[in-house]
Amino acid sequence: MNKKVLAGFTSLFMAGSLAVCGMGMTAFAEDSADAQISGKKVSILTPYLSSVTTKQMVDTLTSGLEGAGAEVNVVDTKSDFGELASRIEDVVTTNADAMILVSADPNQVKTQLNEAFEANIPVFGVDSGYIEGMQVNATSDNYAMGEAMAKYLFEDLMNEEGTVIALTYRPHPGVVKRSEAFDDLIGNYPNITLITEQEVNVEAGPIESSREIMESLLLANAEKDSVTAVFCAWDEPAIGVTQALQEAGRDEVIVTGVDGNSQAVELINSDSNLKATMSQNFDGMCDIVISDIVTLLSGNEIETGEKYAPGELIKAE
Amino acid sequence: MKSMKSVTNALKAYGTILAGLVIILVFSILRPAAFFTVPNLINVTRQISLLVVIAIGATLVMSVEEFDLSVGALASLGGVTAAKLAVAGVPLVLCFLLPILLCFCIGFLNGWIVTKFRVLSFITTLAMSTILSGVVFWLSGGATIFENIPDGFTWLGSKRILGIPLLSLIMLVLILIFWFVMRHTVFGRKLYAIGGNVKSSEISGINVKVNKNLAFAICGALSALTGVMLASRLGSAHPTGGDGYFMNSYAAVFLGRTVSREGVPNIWGTFVGAAILGILANGLTIMQVPSYLQDILTGVIIIGAVIVQRVTAGKKE
Repeated sequence: MNKKVLAGFTSLFMAGSLAVCGMGMTAFAEDSADAQISGKKVSILTPYLSSVTTKQMVDTLTSGLEGAGAEVNVVDTKSDFGELASRIEDVVTTNADAMILVSADPNQVKTQLNEAFEANIPVFGVDSGYIEGMQVNATSDNYAMGEAMAKYLFEDLMNEEGTVIALTYRPHPGVVKRSEAFDDLIGNYPNITLITEQEVNVEAGPIESSREIMESLLLANAEKDSVTAVFCAWDEPAIGVTQALQEAGRDEVIVTGVDGNSQAVELINSDSNLKATMSQNFDGMCDIVISDIVTLLSGNEIETGEKYAPGELIKAE
Repeated sequence: MKSMKSVTNALKAYGTILAGLVIILVFSILRPAAFFTVPNLINVTRQISLLVVIAIGATLVMSVEEFDLSVGALASLGGVTAAKLAVAGVPLVLCFLLPILLCFCIGFLNGWIVTKFRVLSFITTLAMSTILSGVVFWLSGGATIFENIPDGFTWLGSKRILGIPLLSLIMLVLILIFWFVMRHTVFGRKLYAIGGNVKSSEISGINVKVNKNLAFAICGALSALTGVMLASRLGSAHPTGGDGYFMNSYAAVFLGRTVSREGVPNIWGTFVGAAILGILANGLTIMQVPSYLQDILTGVIIIGAVIVQRVTAGKKE
């Protein structure tokens, strides 16, 4: 049989698989219990599902909304905002009952979100930004968290002197605010010098990327005490940096993160270089949005705007 | 018996197109109200327009048996440069044209390095991609550019003519232009001749270097146009915005090769390849299939198509 004929049959098989997928999804949705928003379709979209914290939030949202009876589907576009724009259009096409953006700056897909607003699809954000037309964005006050973490680092851990390296990823709407707080604060400490700020390659994996960055920076700053501290704008780089420091035997370097993810907390409690993080209340953010979606889709009104779930400093005992 | 043979011949010639039609049919049956509607089909043409434009450039480069791995970075550069120019108050026409001109030159440089120093295009363009990523981060400060972008900037990405998105029309015009160029002009035939056999082409008097340089240059310009279209569509420019198009553009070209009887890169084939990828992404999202399953199905289809193409080519050889 000719290979192209075979391709035709292969495509038929794949199409069949799609059909089975489609039927399976519908059957699953029909299993939803007698819940508050039974049968409502909610789409969760994120470009960063590979991030531990984003995944944690998506899972919490999914289980919370499915528990309330909603049909939930998750779309990950792997750091691709063009793709995210297309998928938002698809969600608008399906006339979903609600849409949640997780860890995605709405400014980057404003045009597509406007289509959702015009179609009266309520748009929520978790750890994203807020633009006019959205219902709610639940987040931490990222600037306040960055400021509190940097202040603790400069004053309590560094005694207001030494050198510091900053690791960040400014395209992320929350991360950039923490870095801006760091930038604003460091000027108040004349005896603290910023060696360099490096952008973490999130596509390559933030832990691996930051580990590689730190390994290189240690080669450039090989002398003991040449680096006093590393300020990481979120926990995954802090983990990568800590691994690099441990491998190089540079016990004197202090590392801080922000997020409070479980791996980071474990490192803090094991007397590693990682000394502190600021826990983001991810569950709290998800709870805010789940509660608001249930309220709204049940026909009630909600207060719109940005809502904050308070953070907490986690430090070595 | 004769009719069976004619069906087999039709499948041989149009196997990939048939696969696309089967996929459309399956989605149409499973989600008729959402998928098989005029607005959604127009929506799909808008979604694939960027991929088609960048893939046309990749088609040209692949027709001379080279690769340009910098297409994604060139697209990011195009988008960021356009946005920066718009923020600086440069007239919009120039905001759209200057990045294309800039990337035409960078593409030409890619080609010049490849042909002048006989460096593998893989290596040259990979290195160029890295350089351009750095330049884009430097230009953008690592952050998404969306503040102070004039309203008119989104004209290209949001304008509709008789209900058809301008982006879709640009795609259609470029398909027609480059189909004509590749099929009916001396330049197009030279590219195919070079791709078929460089030595023979040289002996027959074709200036291989100049034609290859032009293929790379046009590829650079089309990549930048993709970036400009993306930035205008989103109303913002992300420093890694074009990166996602790199893999998909080559996937579209490889799929498109299976449309051609000769198994060579061709413009209509690339369009069919991009359309299959776009329709899969759109349809699977509408069916609320998890994104990991979308990736698996898309990957399986690409591998299947390429294997068929290779086996067919091998048989010919």
